[in-house]
Amino acid sequence: MVEFKDVSVTYSSGVDALNRVNLKINDGDFAFVVGPSGAGKSTLIKLILKEIDATSGEVTVNGFNLRKLKRRKVPALRRTIGVVFQDFRLIPTMTVYENVAFVLRVIDAPAKYIRSRVPYVINLVGLSKKAKSYPNELSGGEQQRVALARALVNDPQLIIADEPTGNIDPALSYEIVGLLKGINECGTTILMVTHEHELVRYFGGRIININSGNIAFDEVVGGTNEDQ
Amino acid sequence: MKISSARYLIHQGFKGIWKNRMMSFASFCIMLVSLLMVGMSVLMAINLNRIISGIEDKSEAVVQIKDGLSEAERDELEKQIKSINNVHTVEFYSKEKAWENMVKNMSKQQQDLFRYADDNPLPDTFKITVINIQDMNETTTLIETFENVESTKSPTKLTDVLVSLRRLLVILSGAIVIALIIVCLIIISNTTRASVFTRRKEINIMKYVGAKNSFIRIPFFIEGMIVGILAAGGALLLTKFAYEGVYNIFNDDFTLWTVLGVSNLYPFKDLFTKVAISYVATGALIGAVGTSFSTGKHLKV
Ligand SMILES: Nc1ncnc2c1ncn2[C@@H]1O[C@H](COP(=O)(O)OP(=O)(O)OP(=O)(O)O)[C@@H](O)[C@H]1O
Ligand SMILES: [Mg+2]
Repeated sequence: MVEFKDVSVTYSSGVDALNRVNLKINDGDFAFVVGPSGAGKSTLIKLILKEIDATSGEVTVNGFNLRKLKRRKVPALRRTIGVVFQDFRLIPTMTVYENVAFVLRVIDAPAKYIRSRVPYVINLVGLSKKAKSYPNELSGGEQQRVALARALVNDPQLIIADEPTGNIDPALSYEIVGLLKGINECGTTILMVTHEHELVRYFGGRIININSGNIAFDEVVGGTNEDQ
Repeated sequence: MKISSARYLIHQGFKGIWKNRMMSFASFCIMLVSLLMVGMSVLMAINLNRIISGIEDKSEAVVQIKDGLSEAERDELEKQIKSINNVHTVEFYSKEKAWENMVKNMSKQQQDLFRYADDNPLPDTFKITVINIQDMNETTTLIETFENVESTKSPTKLTDVLVSLRRLLVILSGAIVIALIIVCLIIISNTTRASVFTRRKEINIMKYVGAKNSFIRIPFFIEGMIVGILAAGGALLLTKFAYEGVYNIFNDDFTLWTVLGVSNLYPFKDLFTKVAISYVATGALIGAVGTSFSTGKHLKV
């Protein structure tokens, strides 16, 4: 669960990126975050990850009060969140398998669990055949699916994706969002930032529109895919 | 932490060295040379100290006692001198013995000249050695106040030189050690910076998935420590050759030691364990500490 209460962010440059935002995303929600460039969408995500702190207001994520959370407890927060970035951020010197397994090593998971969990997740995103490939041997869509597997592998409560389809073929975007929808149906909360209105219109769901630091629109909209 | 994690981290440390092999090699070389220089200067200091101690042990003060003391009075005086804290040994040197020695060292002509002198003009003396040569003057001054003492003579000039030589030695070797340790720390921390830079993507992702800072740091720590230990090994080998070279020259060709009557250099095998332990410990420590300087600020995400 993510909750923003009167949250404002002012960067040291003086830019007001968020302006007294109130927002609640319940467990099991799927929400698109849309809005023009510079509106404050990425700022919202950085707050959730405690990459930055709110200038004022309270942010609560998966039971952590981020204002009170100590630096050395940040890893505990981040272990409840899976992240997907526009630029994939895979490690080029590691295979698909290693890129995913890496996450579990970092959190000191048992070797036996790693050996069973990683192939399972890679299979889930449909990349079993490419497990031994390196990122530069994969298409953009495939790389993003690896990133998705990496976000999933730790079985997080929340997955946040900042423009995950921004760097891939529009046709493949549907595939990625389809995967996210499937993951959401298993109970994981998903927050996805996107610029692609077609995609939002197609899938529907909760849509949060941010405009110059304010929430301009926050409603559940039916998707065109359900019309047929 | 699990064994598999520990293995993973150590493996990452080794991988870091290889990925960054140019910089690792550079810091290996710098550390090796530094350790070698530190080691050699400390060894030199230790040996000079030993030689100085040898000379100090040999440098005696002479206490001239009043003529015509009874044996009891003499024993009493000896006890009195011995009871001074700084006095190490007291040896009675009778005027007969002194006479004998003097005559022995004379040329034939002189001996002929003195043969018939039946009156021995030399005084009875005590030869004393002190524990702390810096305080020799105070000790002899104190002895002079004793009732049955005529006068004292101490090799003041020599002791002053030795004392200041020793002080210089400590300062000099201390300065070299500190300077080189700083150089090593800077070099290692720069190597780590490069290593962190080449792996910044990985570190960034690690931070996002909830790695603890310690987990991120350990591979760099290990990397620095391995380089330090390897450098220590290399330095140890070179020190052995260099030291033994010097040792052999002094041992074979120099009779100076025997002339001065002081002890020779320490043989390397007597020092080996100490040198090895200090090298490895210093190398590992510098390696580990050096890395922590530069990992700190790169970990903020
Ligand atoms: N680190 C920063 N320092 C100063 N200003 C920043 C920083 N990051 C973002 N901003 C500013 O804050 C505002 C919101 O930025 P943010 O990245 O949240 O926008 P966004 O909605 O994600 O845009 P986009 O769709 O282009 O990614 C912008 O005006 C941006 O210039
Ligand atoms: Mg953005």
